[in-house]
Amino acid sequence: MEGLMRWLKMVGRNKALLLMVLPGAVWFLLFCYLPMPGAIIAFKDYKFSTDGFLASIIESDWIGLKNFEYLFKTEDSWIIVRNTLLYNAVFIVLGTTLSVIVAIIISQIANKKMAKIYQTGMFLPHFLSWVIVSYFVFSFLSVDKGVLNQFLTFIGVDPVFWYSEKEYWPYILVFVNLWKGVGYGSVIYLAAIVGIDKSYFEAAMIDGASKWQQIRKITIPMITPIIVIMFILAVGGIFRADFGLFYQVPRDTGALYPVTNVIDTFVYRGLKVTGNIGMSTAAGLYQAVVGFVLVIVTNFIVRKINKEQALF
Amino acid sequence: MDNGVVVEQHTGKPNMKRKKMRDIHHLTPFWNMMSHLAIGLFSLACVYPFLFVVIISFTDEKALARDGYSFFPKQWSLDAYTYIFKTSDQLLRSYGVTLFITVVGTLLSLAIVSLYAYAISRSYFHFRGFFSFIAFFTMLFGGGLVPSYIVVSQVLHLKDTIWALILPMCVSAFSILIMRTFFKTMVPDAIIESGKIDGAGEFRVFFYLVLPISLPGLATIGLFSALGYWNDWFNALLYIDDAKLLPLQSLLIKIETNIQFILQNSAVSGGTERSAIARSLPAETTRMAMVVLATVPIIFAYPFFQRYFVQGLTIGAVKE
Amino acid sequence: MKKSLLLVLSFVMLAAFTLAGCSSSKDSKSSEGTADTGKGTETQVQQEKKEDPVTLIWYTIGGPQKDQDKVMTEVNKYLVDKINTKIDLKVIDWGDYSQKMQVIAASGEPFDIAFTSSWAFNYVESARKGYFYELDQLLEESGKGIKEELNPAFLEGSKVNGHNYAIPTNKELPAQAVWRFNKNLVDKYKLDITKATTLESLEPMLKTVKENEPDVYPIPSNIGPFLPFDFALEGIPVGVALNSTDLKMVNIWDSPEAKQVFSTMRKYYQAGYLPPDVATKQGNEFEKTGKWLVDKQHTVPFADVSWSESMQYPIISTPIHEPLVFNWSVTGSMQAISAKTKHPKQAMEFLNLLNTDKFLRNLVNNGIEGVHYKKLSEGIYEPIPDSGYSMPAFTLGNMFLLDKLKNDPADKWEQYKKFNDSAKNAPLLGFQFDPTNVMTEIANVKNAVDEFGPSLNTGSVDPDKILPKAIEKLKAQGIDKIIEEAQKQVDAWRASK
Repeated sequence: MEGLMRWLKMVGRNKALLLMVLPGAVWFLLFCYLPMPGAIIAFKDYKFSTDGFLASIIESDWIGLKNFEYLFKTEDSWIIVRNTLLYNAVFIVLGTTLSVIVAIIISQIANKKMAKIYQTGMFLPHFLSWVIVSYFVFSFLSVDKGVLNQFLTFIGVDPVFWYSEKEYWPYILVFVNLWKGVGYGSVIYLAAIVGIDKSYFEAAMIDGASKWQQIRKITIPMITPIIVIMFILAVGGIFRADFGLFYQVPRDTGALYPVTNVIDTFVYRGLKVTGNIGMSTAAGLYQAVVGFVLVIVTNFIVRKINKEQALF
Repeated sequence: MDNGVVVEQHTGKPNMKRKKMRDIHHLTPFWNMMSHLAIGLFSLACVYPFLFVVIISFTDEKALARDGYSFFPKQWSLDAYTYIFKTSDQLLRSYGVTLFITVVGTLLSLAIVSLYAYAISRSYFHFRGFFSFIAFFTMLFGGGLVPSYIVVSQVLHLKDTIWALILPMCVSAFSILIMRTFFKTMVPDAIIESGKIDGAGEFRVFFYLVLPISLPGLATIGLFSALGYWNDWFNALLYIDDAKLLPLQSLLIKIETNIQFILQNSAVSGGTERSAIARSLPAETTRMAMVVLATVPIIFAYPFFQRYFVQGLTIGAVKE
Repeated sequence: MKKSLLLVLSFVMLAAFTLAGCSSSKDSKSSEGTADTGKGTETQVQQEKKEDPVTLIWYTIGGPQKDQDKVMTEVNKYLVDKINTKIDLKVIDWGDYSQKMQVIAASGEPFDIAFTSSWAFNYVESARKGYFYELDQLLEESGKGIKEELNPAFLEGSKVNGHNYAIPTNKELPAQAVWRFNKNLVDKYKLDITKATTLESLEPMLKTVKENEPDVYPIPSNIGPFLPFDFALEGIPVGVALNSTDLKMVNIWDSPEAKQVFSTMRKYYQAGYLPPDVATKQGNEFEKTGKWLVDKQHTVPFADVSWSESMQYPIISTPIHEPLVFNWSVTGSMQAISAKTKHPKQAMEFLNLLNTDKFLRNLVNNGIEGVHYKKLSEGIYEPIPDSGYSMPAFTLGNMFLLDKLKNDPADKWEQYKKFNDSAKNAPLLGFQFDPTNVMTEIANVKNAVDEFGPSLNTGSVDPDKILPKAIEKLKAQGIDKIIEEAQKQVDAWRASK
């Protein structure tokens, strides 16, 4: 009772801020939490009932974890987990590093017009869908007509069968992903750099600090909170792979599966025949739970180091 | 990174004395050039395929099939564009739809996201942990496609309305959490305190003191939201049957998925129908022309956002 | 943290209740609806006939048409007169159709009629999930015309668990694979294509072309070489031999026939008859450039003519096997009635009319005379280019009612009927495999099939080395369990016949 009173008092004191979160909270309730119970079908043998979706869920039989089985049963389940985790880890580390470097360099370029042009240019790949990107990758790597093999032949090296040599593909995929994402990713850091209070730099200059010192002592520490948050959020998605990158860019070539098959492509292929929504929901839940656990762990570590920078 | 610093110390030091008169906040010419070179090359690599897209869209279709992609096609042609404008009066309509959802959606999104993020960025907000968590939770967990569809179409009755394209993506937990960090680190508590002392309420402080100094952050999430709306096709796929409400990107994606579908479904009933369908699909030049038409407008809108995070970057140059 | 999680959970519970509230109010309504359809249909319909016409929502596949509304107004005028029904037609794009219909059907959104087939919005799978209305009785009552028009094999072959759930389109019944040749090259090198029957018999022709036209890859793409088996499930190499009498399910990749095919393809690949990247998915540019000699397709009467027209150079073909009626060829194009429809009788009456009424069928397909097509003479028409309406003929209903184009042979539909009558049944015709018990294995096996299939089919890899690996992987993924399950089901099916 007393607790309730205290709680009500808190609500009263935070009235204005609660009002601020209200529209967003309503949105989350409607568009995220209302559909969320639907995830129960991951544990059910979903059978359609003419009485609607909810009746279908309720009338379907519980089957425990059977819908999850296909994700764990074979040697592929290890490969897809490994690929998904490793690629995403590399994307997070390299993507963040490069984005930060690019943001810092752009912020340093004195010629603002050029800075803007470069920055716009880097943004363009974001507008090309993976299907279109796959055309270009193919125009480079095609065995007989590809630019790269023509070049190799020209300098007297044997052409490479790019689409059957799996050892090249980790590099190709990482490169393509960075190429597509760094321009987009750097925007956040650029905005963070611009937002830094100018007086810090002025003080540093008066003290005679060099540009490198300013970057190391002011810029990087000031954008660390945003880097940390981006990192934590990225960890949450580490079990989800970009379907287009791993399916379209290698053109679904079987010989490359050992290095291109990730959870999302595996699920897509596996469910093409039966279209089982219980199993697809199960895959989503699997990815979410692992991501969730990893975020909690990461957040815990961050909290230990610096409470202010943690997600919660 | 470390390496760079070491190198700088070697090359930089002799220069320091000689150019004492130089503004210390400028990079040395060598490093300036290196910056230009590195960033310039990278952005060239990014522009290059897009340039290719433009050139292919102006290439003669037969020449393309014969010679493959080429920077200097032997035959140029405007066919792809005349084809698009002739066959689809849809295009202009779709521009309108996309423009509307992008503008309205971005504004709505900015309003909701920034309010929410500001509230949970304040350390004195008692419920900040809870509201941060319920936002974050939605980034990972969802009910799946069918339940979401039911909410939008059967609970909210948004099917075949323009709101089905706006509301389902108007809030993003990602933007909220990024914005929260911006508010936390970029808005000094002192400013808010001073506002409070002047007797301003929470909303007043937010609108008159906080927002003006948060423009880079707002521009960033505004940009992300605008791009999200501009590039969205999935909501249209699910919720729009009425061709009058189809956004631009969904026209483009439809062409792509149709082509993929036909090529991958050799079983499409009998060979003759399949080739009849395949024939009705637009040629590659037309597809590329669609990409150009769908991208160019947003590239022109880009500087509007960009000026907030590239302008004023002349950090130490502001001397008083 | 813990507190937040707790709160979120209660949030979710709350959401669940709200959702339950929302849909249970609906449930009561719709369950009334289904009760009606059971008994009260007759009287209800009688009443409705005097009242407002019923509007049926009809989803079908194709490119959306500019003048759809105009044509539908005409269609509805005609339908109100005839059966006091209106149609609300929704055309969904080829590539979107499956995904969209799966969501619509699973969410229980109301619709009355929908296109379904073996290749888009899978018929057997959807029927089994309960999305479709069981038509046996309706067909007797309101679908007599359909039964008269259709070759009985259509309805017989498309039964799921002994019942019909959709009306097949009257078109070509069997499937017949052919070698399709680029006639320009055939004539140039005076190839005798009558000798082309098996994969092996192609060799001398491929050799001649490759020697004389080094920049042509005679086999331009992954043709998916013909294997003499009837598959239990599309895309999974489990099935029975076409000439099988005991219906023994086998691992098709583990058969001597498959080994033979893969080895031959390997020989061809190494000889340079296929493009080096052929196992990688590509477009069909070769059709435009004409730099190819032969591929494999399924034929219909006068297919050569229409292929030649669409490619703008002459095409000629030779059969690989006799016409065979497969489950997937019977279910190549169908219209189903939704299990949730409130107007099953009207929906069936409409489908019956669509499959028997020449005027309606042509109107729905070709649009309005004078606006979308010109009538040249009785039964012959010419489409007006870019007029804003033209539907894919094979998706909608009885093709044999359609007017012919100027260049079509006069006996086009008679030839179709002859083709249909000449067909033999494949061994598994009428048997629909139920994958429920082996879902996990199917998902896993499919990944292995996609991994090895294209490279084996195109000869990109050495079957002596890779095939044993592929078979081993199929086994590891549980193909034997699928075979066992399929065998059990097929035995039960045979016993029940």
